Amino acid sequence: MAKFILLFLKLLAILYTVQAVFEDQVGKFDWKQQYVGSVRFAHFDNQIQSSKKVLVATEKNVFAAINTRTGELFWRHVDKTGPEGNIDALLLQGQDAVMVVGDGRILRSWEVNVGGLNWEMVLDSGSFQSASLVGHQEHVKYVAVLKKAAISLHYLSNGHQKWIENLPESDSVDYQSVYSEGKGEVFVLGLVPHSHITVVVYSIDDGEILKQFTVEAPWMPDLQSSCSVIGKGMLTCVDAVVSSALTHCTFLPLQSIGLEVSSGFRPVLVSSQPNAARPPLSEFFLQIGPDQHVLLQLNKGQILTLRDFKPAMLVSFATTGEKTVAAVMSPKNKTASSINLFSAETGRRLLDTTLIFTMDPNGGKPEKVGLITNGSGFPGRVLWTREEALSDVVTMEMVDLPLTATQAELEGEFGKKADGLMSMVLKRLSSQLILLQAWLSHLWKLFYDARQPRSQVKNEVTIENLSRDEFNLQKMMVMVTASGKLFGIDSKTGTIVWKHYLDNVPSNAAFKLMVQRTTAHFPHPPQCTLLIKDKDTGLATLHVFNPIYGKKSHVTPPLLPQPILQSMLLPLMDQDYAKVLLLVDDQYKVSAFPSTKNVLQQLQDVASSVFFFLIDANQGRLSGYRLRTDLSTELIWEVVIPAEVQKIVTVNGKKANEHVHSQGRVMGDRSVLYKYLNPNLLALVTESTDQHQERSFVGIILIDGVTGRIIHEAVQRKARGPVHIVHSENWVVYEYWSTKSRRVEFSVIELYEGMELYNSTVFSSLDRPHAPQVLQQSYIFPSAISAMDATLTEKGITSRHLLIGLPSGGILSLPKMFLDPRRPEIVSEQSREENLIPYAPELPIRTEWFINYNQSVLRVRGIHTAPSGLESTCLVVAYGLDIYQTRVYPSKQFDVLKDDYDYMLISSVLLALFFATMISKRLAEVKLLNRAWR
Amino acid sequence: MHIERIPLLWLLLQATLVVTWGFNAEMDTGPSAGAFAQSNSDRFKIEGRAIVSGIKPQDWVSSARVLVEGEEYVGFLRTDGSFAVNDIPPGSYVVEIISPTFRFEPVRVDITSKGKMRARLVNYIKTSEVIRQPYPLQVRASGPHSYFMKRETWGWTDFLMNPMVMMMILPLLIIVLLPKVVNTNDPEMRKEMEQSMNMLNPNPELPDVSELMTKLFSGSKGSSKTGGSSKGARPAVKRR
Repeated sequence: MAKFILLFLKLLAILYTVQAVFEDQVGKFDWKQQYVGSVRFAHFDNQIQSSKKVLVATEKNVFAAINTRTGELFWRHVDKTGPEGNIDALLLQGQDAVMVVGDGRILRSWEVNVGGLNWEMVLDSGSFQSASLVGHQEHVKYVAVLKKAAISLHYLSNGHQKWIENLPESDSVDYQSVYSEGKGEVFVLGLVPHSHITVVVYSIDDGEILKQFTVEAPWMPDLQSSCSVIGKGMLTCVDAVVSSALTHCTFLPLQSIGLEVSSGFRPVLVSSQPNAARPPLSEFFLQIGPDQHVLLQLNKGQILTLRDFKPAMLVSFATTGEKTVAAVMSPKNKTASSINLFSAETGRRLLDTTLIFTMDPNGGKPEKVGLITNGSGFPGRVLWTREEALSDVVTMEMVDLPLTATQAELEGEFGKKADGLMSMVLKRLSSQLILLQAWLSHLWKLFYDARQPRSQVKNEVTIENLSRDEFNLQKMMVMVTASGKLFGIDSKTGTIVWKHYLDNVPSNAAFKLMVQRTTAHFPHPPQCTLLIKDKDTGLATLHVFNPIYGKKSHVTPPLLPQPILQSMLLPLMDQDYAKVLLLVDDQYKVSAFPSTKNVLQQLQDVASSVFFFLIDANQGRLSGYRLRTDLSTELIWEVVIPAEVQKIVTVNGKKANEHVHSQGRVMGDRSVLYKYLNPNLLALVTESTDQHQERSFVGIILIDGVTGRIIHEAVQRKARGPVHIVHSENWVVYEYWSTKSRRVEFSVIELYEGMELYNSTVFSSLDRPHAPQVLQQSYIFPSAISAMDATLTEKGITSRHLLIGLPSGGILSLPKMFLDPRRPEIVSEQSREENLIPYAPELPIRTEWFINYNQSVLRVRGIHTAPSGLESTCLVVAYGLDIYQTRVYPSKQFDVLKDDYDYMLISSVLLALFFATMISKRLAEVKLLNRAWR
Repeated sequence: MHIERIPLLWLLLQATLVVTWGFNAEMDTGPSAGAFAQSNSDRFKIEGRAIVSGIKPQDWVSSARVLVEGEEYVGFLRTDGSFAVNDIPPGSYVVEIISPTFRFEPVRVDITSKGKMRARLVNYIKTSEVIRQPYPLQVRASGPHSYFMKRETWGWTDFLMNPMVMMMILPLLIIVLLPKVVNTNDPEMRKEMEQSMNMLNPNPELPDVSELMTKLFSGSKGSSKTGGSSKGARPAVKRR
């Protein structure tokens, strides 16, 4: 019976906290963008004329089919990250795409139309060199995989191995490519650098070596980039000379055909073999300079120059049916480039095939040209572009949109100093008139739009019409990607409003994005600062820009000659309302940005209360410093965690923009348990260096960042990372892998001051004599986790939810209520009064709590939460391979009418009541009159 | 992991040595059979099949994946719904089939160092409990995911079936209809009714319920005023 009551209570609690998406809200407040990453291999599926697919394999270990008309994904397969999922080669034959994965470990074949797997084979170990389709008697039946020491031939239909052979002298010869032209032979080309080329010919039927010979080539450093098989059995290699060799060897100085390689440039060959069962084309491109390509033809051992392209950035071949065209992309001017098509056989330009491609100077460089050929001709405009840099977002911020011009006008009125009564009145009147005008035009627009069919109404988002809405629900998402490209995205629609490509960003850069000035200080533009730090050298640069327009600010950031250890944004503002950024260099000297006199003056005043900490993860040292008035620093505390035993994984403070509304919790007996709300608290996570599953552990230390006092310390034995942590209000939630029970576990720590508050007006780390009470509880979580954060609202009244990104692609919104260390094991009257859920070891995962319903977001790296103007609403952006934006209402929408509010019903009821009273009044009057007459 | 690799590498090296030796001796031997066996001896594959009854596999496999222990190992579904996740070292793993449309129960698969496989139900609380499942895995979808909450719709039937409304309407019907059905003018009937009313209300001294309610409500409504009135009443009591 007790169990039953418990269950009932649990159910009640769950029902109470249920929050999910309604089916009709799909796509109303949320959007998703899917990415694949930067492309490594791309093939057009041109078996059927009407096919609209381009198949791409990317650096992110993603294999996807993209619609060539719209740029959307048909399907996408995401393999695991790291070298084990790395795609080494992609070959396309008919409806099958063959892929070599994980350094030649796995051979996969995909059915391209459905997007399902045909077969998967594990290959022998050995580092992968090359793969090629092998044709036999006009049919492509096999795929050959060349490894360092062996070559194997597999059936294309089922992946079974036909034969595997070892390569002769594989320890001295570097076999690099495999080739066949459909005559029952497989050619394997190997190279002994600076000595000779080895060619081994295998029989397709049984793998017997038919022929083996060498060609002297002492000048040859690398086979793959400088050699290519052209025409019927001709291996053409290029160095300072072009030579052709396969059955016989001839050398041909480039000068003899009138070509000259620009100095210091290694020439590259580009050729094409449209059908694996036939020999490659006899035409090929030779790149002889950074922007010069030559189309050449090999004809009976002679090389003819068909056409010289200069300047040409990229070249490519494309085949439709029997015809092959060459596409050449050449720069037109600074912002545009044109793509022209040429007949491959003659080098003549095809008519009406020029495409002007406008390139944003901020857009980065194109890397590959692909061609879609269809019967009707070439579409003369850009159909779509995909911003694949967004598959690698590193950090982001959400910035409020600015006011509209009219709103700004009104605001400006208040900002200025008074200049006479009369002019003030006039100004007031004029601004009111402007408002009226704006309102009228808005009404007109509404009316106008309502008359048109819905599909024709276009809500194009541009910088001009971006303005803050009444609840501040629409914001600008500033996203920083690993490649150094910045994006400004409208949070309502997902439209990219601006992009900016930063040059000379080091490949291993760490980014930190800070909002120095929000849009609230009207005449001054908003200002964001991006700190770009080279992880190896520690040298950093600052990029200051306007987050709404993406333009680089005219404010010149200081040059930072010294490596930067720490950066922090102070709540201080200069006279232009920009927050002060402090940078600590490796000499422990502090510099401020902006560093005007006003700022320095302010800094001197508050220096005694500015503290910061530095982490040295290698030595396990966490040290606290204080700022002196002359902007030097002073070490005040140091905590050393023995680096031999455990290493510091993360140090997590609280969010600066977080508000806590209630100081305590009301208990069942009407007393108050006060929260320990220390804004300087740091949560430090350590992992043991010993990875043995019996001895590994995860430690958590709570340290006061000002005094260095250790508030609490906990160790989870038989546990290991990866640890995800959320630190907010008076609680810390962290997640780890329990090696003993092989499951993910959550632990929550809550800190309370007790029944009395020591100093209720202000919190000072230096004056808190009592240590807080610490409560902790742990739970089992039935899934792995890829990212975690907590919801954030304007005033902190709304209850909190944890947002957990799962590897399955769902984003779970788990009420913090479930992670409450006061959850009782035995239900009492008091705990029921407090609305505590009885303790259950396993946390529930319900698909109703997935805020992104079936819109899977893969490989979530981070979840960003931002408050909106409505207390009930929190904006959420999950980024990883995909980007997903939505709104969540942790305590439902208590401050605004629901979006399905039935206006019709309420107005009809009101009207009905109104008429009913009128009628009954009339009837009552008649009755009274009658009675009076009686 | 590292320690495991070194003997493997050594063995591989040995295998290749053997292979090259074999190669030199006679060309026809299946050369890297040794290497093949070795590389597979400590890496296994988890096989199985996912079934969604009533739906063709072609319609859902492109959006599905097989995740082993989070995202540690990833497998893909074939066009017939079967799958194999390769290259897995011995251990115990939770295998999940992830699809945005269909729900599949996870299965725990144990692989011994000799390559024996066992599938069992996932139980995170009692981790050692074994309830056997078939291996190769047969995972049946238990229906589509329910992501959405139902909207509270407003309909006349819902409104009328509401108990509060029923409680309001039924007495109304009785009040309106009863006098019409029963002839109240008949004196006999009236007498009978009075009797029955007396039966229901045996003690006429007790206050009427409705009267009590009105008193209660008027009292609570003017609670602030009652303080004043009670003060006024007190001297009256004293006077008596």
